[in-house]
Amino acid sequence: MKRMWLGLVTVFVLLATACGGGGGGGGESTSGGPSGGPVEIVFWHGNTDLALTQMNKLVKEWNAANPNMQVKPVYYGSSDRALTKVETAVASGVYPDIAYLYGSWAANIATSPALLTLNDFIENDPTFNWDDFWPAERFAATVNGKIIGVPALVDNLAIVYNPALFDQANLPYPSPDWTWDDFRAAAKALTDPATKQFGWAYPADASEDTVWHWEAMLWEAGGDILNADNTEAVFNSPQGVQALTVLQDMATVDHSIYIDTTNSKIQDVFNAGKIGMLVTGPWDLPGFKNVDYGVQIMPSFPGGDHETISGPDNWVLFNNGPDRAKAAFEFIKWYTDPEQDIQNALYTATLPIRQSELDVAGYQTFLDKYPGIQTFVENEQNALKARPVTPKYPMVSEALGQAIVSVLLGKADAQTALDQAAQAANAALAAP
Amino acid sequence: MEATGRRRAPLWLRAVHSDHVAGWTLAGPAIFMMALFSIYPVIWSVILSFQRKNLLSGESQWIGWENYEALTKDPIFKTALWNSAKYTALFVPLSIIAGIFVAVAVNRKLRLMAFYRLAVFVTLAISTISTAIMFLWLTEPTYGIINAFLHALHLPEQQFLADTNEALYVIVAMTVWGWLGFVVIIYLAALQGIPQELIEAAQIDGASRWGIFRNVTLPLLGPATFFLVVWLTINALQLFDEIYLTTKGGPLYSTTVIVYYMFVQAFQNFAAGYGAAMAYVLFALILVISIIEFVVGKRLVHYSA
Repeated sequence: MKRMWLGLVTVFVLLATACGGGGGGGGESTSGGPSGGPVEIVFWHGNTDLALTQMNKLVKEWNAANPNMQVKPVYYGSSDRALTKVETAVASGVYPDIAYLYGSWAANIATSPALLTLNDFIENDPTFNWDDFWPAERFAATVNGKIIGVPALVDNLAIVYNPALFDQANLPYPSPDWTWDDFRAAAKALTDPATKQFGWAYPADASEDTVWHWEAMLWEAGGDILNADNTEAVFNSPQGVQALTVLQDMATVDHSIYIDTTNSKIQDVFNAGKIGMLVTGPWDLPGFKNVDYGVQIMPSFPGGDHETISGPDNWVLFNNGPDRAKAAFEFIKWYTDPEQDIQNALYTATLPIRQSELDVAGYQTFLDKYPGIQTFVENEQNALKARPVTPKYPMVSEALGQAIVSVLLGKADAQTALDQAAQAANAALAAP
Repeated sequence: MEATGRRRAPLWLRAVHSDHVAGWTLAGPAIFMMALFSIYPVIWSVILSFQRKNLLSGESQWIGWENYEALTKDPIFKTALWNSAKYTALFVPLSIIAGIFVAVAVNRKLRLMAFYRLAVFVTLAISTISTAIMFLWLTEPTYGIINAFLHALHLPEQQFLADTNEALYVIVAMTVWGWLGFVVIIYLAALQGIPQELIEAAQIDGASRWGIFRNVTLPLLGPATFFLVVWLTINALQLFDEIYLTTKGGPLYSTTVIVYYMFVQAFQNFAAGYGAAMAYVLFALILVISIIEFVVGKRLVHYSA
């Protein structure tokens, strides 16, 4: 008799702990009763350090002013892996209200049944001012007419250079009307094997980082990635070959590029004063404490323009019922308002996400704190094209990444590499 | 029946009071948890491998054996299989040989032996990301220490992780180093379990040090070796962390192994079904290799009574 009761009690206790423990994980509360009751919004983010402190300050401000709409921030780890976490959450049926997700995932997120499309919310709110966001952001947040997120971040690529090294080599600094020939010549002059100094550095891990640097060059030459309805690759055009040949020549002939196949060291090496020029974005600026850097817009090809590429990311909203949806929208609208966003920009060296932020008090402080960032803000006007918004883009990117790395490592020439990549990309675009 | 005054309890009451029921009730929760977290995903995964599924949108489509057929035609998967095979064929023997060597070295009674043992075990405690960052900088072609040494010795500098022919071997070196502590712990325990009388008997018989090692020590290390071969093979075939943290399968797929390719397909290309099919091919591979190892092991390994 005793043994049986012992067994049953043990089972009961263990099951209770297991269920209790399992249910508490993830932090997805389901509070929020019938309309009118207090709602809790779960807010997934990848902020750390200064950005985190700043975000917490704003969240606290909101929570104090909005007792009925409480925001609970949850750190989801690195933003690189956010998509996997969101995928898992959606599949499990318990997901957040807001999540920070890369713009390049927009086309895939648009297929999620849990997504909250924002067109109605925005149309019904006259103070939201959708057009105040930069064109590149609005493009990255719209899939087939559906607005799938509120822009969270915008950036672009420009030249960040080390003036001290230019001075040492008696070279003039990069100018706004530089061509890629000028860039190449400067990089060559700045390269010195004896002191292990390079003129340029390129991330060569075949990831999207590898690809998007080159895509800017493709656009500067006047080329395009895919055709108008995203069914065919057109990057192996003469413009594409021209853009990739520059990389080929600089890497295999001049040896003026620090080719980082693990994409983990470029910033450190630049900060150590061993690289003349980088092509990178404003997020790197706070890390360059040892270099008195300068910023300049990207070069052009003869006949092309100084286009750049922008990488906007989004706050994506998910549907957890009408009350939480409305609260989430209100919160994110407030969070991306110029008054709040300029504070974020100040702490994280990210560009203002709304054009009206340039008129806000605090903008000048922002410019003063990050020398050179004004060039990035103005460069946003050069972000004329955007990467194709299609669920197949990751495969196109993969093909291009391998092609670019093979050219950088001297394993293929530009035309062959691009043709092969086009083949692979077309196969992926054609598959269901 | 004799009138003893006690009647036998009914069957159900006897069953409930038996040892069987008590045992199963106590083991029940653990089995339930294991089933939930192991068996359920395993079954879900095999079903997934017959579908085309996008984890985000939730839509799935039954496509039968198409994923497996696509695998046979996928050149990158073939590269991944070949890289995994190369890696395993190098990692396992090197780990075992290095492990035995170091374990014997640390099994002696010398001064500071405790420190040496700690130095060996500490590689086990270092997280993979720390090891990865360390090796990334050691092997950095331009600024790394290893190339600086080679240069000082007038030897040609290498590209290491940036070279398609060398990258995988650098990963082998990195992981053999990382796993050394584990192998040494196992062997050290096994060595200390060898009865001294056997060694002394062999010495009295006039055997040389190498003779003792080959004919007494090694056979008695058989069970440990067998365990390590099976364990290390399974781990080697499942290599992922180090690749993800250093080369990301590159340059140009030279370090793409099965699990890494699975990750790319399932989570970066959103082809979860395809990834699941790969997982099952890997499972079949590991199963076959393990069975072979067990069959061979049964013949070669002597367990002491």
